[in-house]
Amino acid sequence: MNGQTTTGARLATAAAATEAAGDTQVDTREDAAAAVADPWVTIVWNDPVNLMSYVSYVFESYFGYPEAKAQKLMLQVHHDGRAVVSSGPRERMEVDVQAMHGFGLWATLRQSGASDGVSGGGAA
Amino acid sequence: MTPFRSAPAGYVARWDDVEREVLGRVARDVAELLRAESGLEPGIEVGDGVAFTGVARVPQDPAVQRLLPDAHDEDADVAAEFRHLTQTDLAAGKLARLVAFADAIDSPDVLPDDPREGAELVVPRESAQEFAGALTDVRLVLAERLGLVDDQDVETLHDDVLAGLDDEDDDTDDADDDREETDDAPDEYAGWERVGLSGRERRYWGGVFVAAGFAQESLVDEMLADLRAGRASG
Repeated sequence: MNGQTTTGARLATAAAATEAAGDTQVDTREDAAAAVADPWVTIVWNDPVNLMSYVSYVFESYFGYPEAKAQKLMLQVHHDGRAVVSSGPRERMEVDVQAMHGFGLWATLRQSGASDGVSGGGAA
Repeated sequence: MTPFRSAPAGYVARWDDVEREVLGRVARDVAELLRAESGLEPGIEVGDGVAFTGVARVPQDPAVQRLLPDAHDEDADVAAEFRHLTQTDLAAGKLARLVAFADAIDSPDVLPDDPREGAELVVPRESAQEFAGALTDVRLVLAERLGLVDDQDVETLHDDVLAGLDDEDDDTDDADDDREETDDAPDEYAGWERVGLSGRERRYWGGVFVAAGFAQESLVDEMLADLRAGRASG
């Protein structure tokens, strides 16, 4: 997940201010900050039913992500079987997971510290 | 069935009587299944910011488990707590939009002069997300019943259904059964074999699945275009 899902996107303004640099050092710093302040993540899993356009629609309309970010996450779900789509306090992630289930996407919670956020399991 | 197109009143498509009847019936069946499997009391209403907690019943049907999945893939306690807090609300919301979907397609906005054209459905922008969500839940349940487990299964189903449109008369159940028994492509047919559908059932429900996907894809394409253009009002 390193740097690919910009887990710190909702985080410190300091990180946002340096985001323009876009290098790995910034990503690493964001991830370190996320591990402390945002210990939970929402993971969306691939399934054979949901349309790519629908998944993009959900990521853009619910999370408010720009088209490019939503597209990247959607393709990550499609090709890798899963993607971390949001991070934050557990209560906030429960809201996100419930919303994803409402849309019909298959989503789970996880503590981001556990095995780099995602490990094991399958997108059967 | 024509694709949904953006119009001033909302998203507009034409559906044949049989398409409206079948998809409406499936949506009501899914709603009833959801109600029974989640233990919802008849008449429960969602809304007004009231959160219902507590779980009357943990779904046992795999199709309903897919609509109300576990929220943690390893920690059963986290999953159970989440289910306790959210299942009734989620199930009631899904049930309400499935019924609204069925009601909407039962009473189309414009009946055609020529019955062969199909009735005109107008999905207002403010309810498009619910309409698309209902189509998703219908498709998820159909996929479970059809044994669709991966992208290859879905592609094969699409090919079979579309081929069936061309040579429906030649495509007998016997031919389907023979093909299922061959080992030419065991992976492709693993899903079908698991659920044990006959060729006739697979073709029928496969056709419904493909039609629902066609409707959803065209609707979502238009919703996404509106969202990106900043014109969405919902």
